[in-house]
Amino acid sequence: MSHIVQIQTEVRDLVAVRAACERLKLPSPVIGSHRLYQGTVIGLGVELPGWRYRVVCDLVNGQLRFDNFGGRWGEQVHLDQFLQNYAVERVKIEARKKGHSVTEQSLEDGSVKLTVNVGGGV
Amino acid sequence: MSSKTIEIIVTPNGQTRVETKGFVGSECRDASRFIEQALGQQTDEVLKVEFHQTGTNQQQVRQGE
Repeated sequence: MSHIVQIQTEVRDLVAVRAACERLKLPSPVIGSHRLYQGTVIGLGVELPGWRYRVVCDLVNGQLRFDNFGGRWGEQVHLDQFLQNYAVERVKIEARKKGHSVTEQSLEDGSVKLTVNVGGGV
Repeated sequence: MSSKTIEIIVTPNGQTRVETKGFVGSECRDASRFIEQALGQQTDEVLKVEFHQTGTNQQQVRQGE
């Protein structure tokens, strides 16, 4: 162990969003203008199961816009699953770009553990 | 001989914890920076014992053995 970093996930990568939607068997995300309860926003719209409005990813600032009315218009668990799958896919994509191999393992508490082999130790 | 790995735990709500293993000194930061930057904003960092070891120190230890 050398250092440990905690990260607040930001959604900035179109390819990883698409991959997360495929993993969750969601419709393909749509770039454009999306209606929320309060107005219209532009970005990458993701359709979550049972959600009244799409979750809109602003890939420039990494933030999400959505109206789920405290869970009444869409369950938080679906958004959490999307974010988890996005983070997993983003790590895999970035690691492969660098030529590293990645293994994925599901943990009992619902977390996913990814191990990136950086090499150099052989 | 230890292998160098970066371990990422993604929690059920999408937050991540990145831990480097098998690195010496500050090279761990360089190794995992690409993943940290890809994921988002760093909220906390803990440096482990190995971080403060340098290549020079390691060499001295070996020579002293």
